[in-house]
Amino acid sequence: MARRRVDFGHLLVSFILLCAASLPALAQDRGTIIAEICSGDFGAQQSALGQLAAAGMSEDSSDATWARRIVEAFEGRELRCGNGVALITTEDGAVQAASMEPSDVDAETLAPPSVNLRLRATAASAAAILRLFIEEDAANRLSAANYIDRRREAATAPILSAALERENDAEVRAVLSTLRASLLLEDPDPANRIAAVEAIAQDATLRNRTTIAEAMRDESDADVLAAGDAAIASIDRMLQVGKILSTLYSGASYASVLFLAALGLAIIFGLMGVINLAQGELIMVGAYAAWFTQEAIRTALPALLDYYLIIAIPISFMAAALVGLLMEVIVIRRLYDRPLMTLLATWAISLLLINTVRVTIGSQNLEFHQPYYVSGGFPLVGDFIMTSNRLFAIVVAICACVTVVVLLRRSLFGMNIRAVTQNRAMAGAAGIDTRRTDMMAFSLGSGLAGLAGLALSPLYNVNPGMGTGFIVDSFMVVVLGGVGSLIGAALAAIGIGQINVIVEPIYGAVAAKVFVLLLVIVFIQWRPEGLFAPKGRR
Amino acid sequence: MKRRNFVKGLLTAGAGSVIASPWVARKAVAASNSGTVKLGCLFSSSGTMANIEGRLNYVAQMAAEEINAKGGVLGKTVEVVTTDPGSDWPLYAQLGRQLIQQEEVAATFGCWTSVSRKSVLPVVEQNDALLYYPLHFEGEENSKNVVYLNSPPSSSVLPAVEYLMGDEGGSARRFFMLGSDYVWPRTINQQLKGYWAEQGIEPEAWREEYVPVGHSNFQTLINEIREFANQPGGQPIVVLTVVGNSIPDFFREFINQGISAFDIPVLGLDAVEADFEGLDTAPLVGHLNCWAYLQNAAGPRNEEFLSNWSNYVAANDVPFSPNVAIDPMVSTYDGVHLWAMAAEKAGSFGVPDVRDASAGLTFACPSGYDISMTSENTYVKRGVFIGSLNENQGFDILWQSPDTPEPVPFSPYMNS
Repeated sequence: MARRRVDFGHLLVSFILLCAASLPALAQDRGTIIAEICSGDFGAQQSALGQLAAAGMSEDSSDATWARRIVEAFEGRELRCGNGVALITTEDGAVQAASMEPSDVDAETLAPPSVNLRLRATAASAAAILRLFIEEDAANRLSAANYIDRRREAATAPILSAALERENDAEVRAVLSTLRASLLLEDPDPANRIAAVEAIAQDATLRNRTTIAEAMRDESDADVLAAGDAAIASIDRMLQVGKILSTLYSGASYASVLFLAALGLAIIFGLMGVINLAQGELIMVGAYAAWFTQEAIRTALPALLDYYLIIAIPISFMAAALVGLLMEVIVIRRLYDRPLMTLLATWAISLLLINTVRVTIGSQNLEFHQPYYVSGGFPLVGDFIMTSNRLFAIVVAICACVTVVVLLRRSLFGMNIRAVTQNRAMAGAAGIDTRRTDMMAFSLGSGLAGLAGLALSPLYNVNPGMGTGFIVDSFMVVVLGGVGSLIGAALAAIGIGQINVIVEPIYGAVAAKVFVLLLVIVFIQWRPEGLFAPKGRR
Repeated sequence: MKRRNFVKGLLTAGAGSVIASPWVARKAVAASNSGTVKLGCLFSSSGTMANIEGRLNYVAQMAAEEINAKGGVLGKTVEVVTTDPGSDWPLYAQLGRQLIQQEEVAATFGCWTSVSRKSVLPVVEQNDALLYYPLHFEGEENSKNVVYLNSPPSSSVLPAVEYLMGDEGGSARRFFMLGSDYVWPRTINQQLKGYWAEQGIEPEAWREEYVPVGHSNFQTLINEIREFANQPGGQPIVVLTVVGNSIPDFFREFINQGISAFDIPVLGLDAVEADFEGLDTAPLVGHLNCWAYLQNAAGPRNEEFLSNWSNYVAANDVPFSPNVAIDPMVSTYDGVHLWAMAAEKAGSFGVPDVRDASAGLTFACPSGYDISMTSENTYVKRGVFIGSLNENQGFDILWQSPDTPEPVPFSPYMNS
């Protein structure tokens, strides 16, 4: 039975393809198209979607509106079929798909036709094509045209020609004519094929290179072949540049993560010499503070929700700084001359923090709203995409680095910290309140960890255990950079990040990690004081 | 291959230096009470697996309460003893031994990753104990001390890959295998390669990459996936076998690099509804998974299970979502009931008796299938679902098997 239906479907497809070229109005009546889309046969469904997309060309403008409705209902699984009926479910009850008249058939007894990935892609493309014909606003048509440019499944040269004929907006026309040109790669006219190659090569991606290279394999015209070779060569250059940029960017982004995680520790361990194993949990506290800020804004001021990451900057900093302050006052200040005890005590604090959060909030990943500035990315050169969430982390890392360097070098507070670090007794004798300086420095280091938690929340899962993943890496960065040197830590983070990213594609992620650790061990053997040795008595 | 082994050796050596996560074995309150029978749970509530494994402790407790409400098993109240192995594989073995020898549990329910099961395996075999294992896994194992509640690849992964290679699934012809570096991903990929070779697919059409467990930075790999996908040779897919928190990390980067499921569908073999809790899934619609249960399974049994779970969450202040149910939860739930039925049928809690009585048992699983234990081994016959991710962090059912296929423990594709 099934076999016979498929054959019938194929017959229909060829029939439609024959008719499609000659008829300006809807090539088939609505009922037939609906029957095909409901048939569950992949080929028939594909051709029906093609028919619906072509309805945009129909002289009767209601056809396009109807087709759009059907495509969207199909995609959104609001179209229900069965027993020879097809309905679209709406909030006010079901309507018949072909006529849009209300129907009294119970939609619950019918099932949506199967929608696999390829049909969805075609449907999305068809919907964009129909928007191109229906939308009054040029900006909407432009966005539809750009969408079709990315998703061409239902686009054909005749449809785009028809759209171009009606289009009067220059920007939309430009997108559409490039798009139409690129669809003529198999046109009988060599001039059109050359134009197609050139249009495709405008966007220098590997996918387009593949498209051109495949077309060139069956090409016999010398001019077209020359154009193809030139296009491939130019794409290759762009791809090369894109690849280099992409490696640099990945390295920079990994470096920014390492640096943010290590920044607080550079002060706490680097300057104060406290081995703080709870540093990762301070990052977690910062991330949770950002989440609470988000929830508070969501209820109180939903209009500002997109800016919660900015608003949360002082809150995350203060929350982690406060936890750090308590840690220092209650535990750590009593253990400054017993480093091993600090190690155990801070580990205990880290467990306490993890489990407190787990018991009170739970151990599932928290859901963060992703504002526009941390979601998606911009394609730049070739296949290089600059992802926004990583850009955000890089920017925060640079700002934090500059601020902290200025604070330590130029402010009285910074001078006090450096004085206490270099010679505690002498600093005390000079009238610096060393106890208070310790407390403030520890809070600063903790607050910076909280800031890291905020900046990393668009990149990582936020859950009670998130901090443990950072602790080893942060110590590595601080030790490699030279204990006490912020610039050293920054350089160490950049080095580790870049090496990791360069090794990873060649030998795999596991090997990259091993390689970096070995490299750090060898380096520390050779230069135990790290990249930048601090001057002063320790 | 040699390089990989070398690297693996190094890694194992390095792993010892990582600070172990904490664990606490909750002592049973009424240890000496003879009116109770104890079941042990080996599921992590800390570390990289915590977000998903942690739920299984509670669902085991929920199943035990259901049984107790009906009078317990053989007149005894079922008591669940939970532990926290902290996603640290050797700790599973240590705590498993503790459960069996000190707590004297009648059966243990535990493990998510295959590496943790492999670490517990010698313990249950030495003590002739029973481990109920609720995850679909790589097969190639048939211990009389493990009840495999979920499917081996022949009735989970292969139907899904077959579907994706068919017309309806998009005729996938090129495959990027990305997994966490341990036994399950490597064995699954080995079998897949054997399967593809038999289907006449050239080795150039696939690529295999592994990341450390808990890996979170997927930038470079996703760049590589894009590069792989844009090469000629047909529709590419990603077969994703990373586990734990690497799954949301992977998908987050996937969204940000602007890749749609239309272009490169991902078959997430370990991806469950719970992995997407923190994510906006609108840009991920269409990615796939395959399990023996999906939350959207139709039928009154599933509705009842879901409402029981949300009531249980509300009543016991469980720190997990009341609206999310995942396959391993249902498998654990089935397992507790199957154990109770077997003990009841055997009239004893002794492991050999329970094992013998297990053969041929049937249970009405919330998935809608009547699942049954085979008589020749300790596998359970389950149905197969292929799911497609929707906007609401759930999976729509794309395809489901007409019945429960016979589980095949040892894959014929392993050595090809």
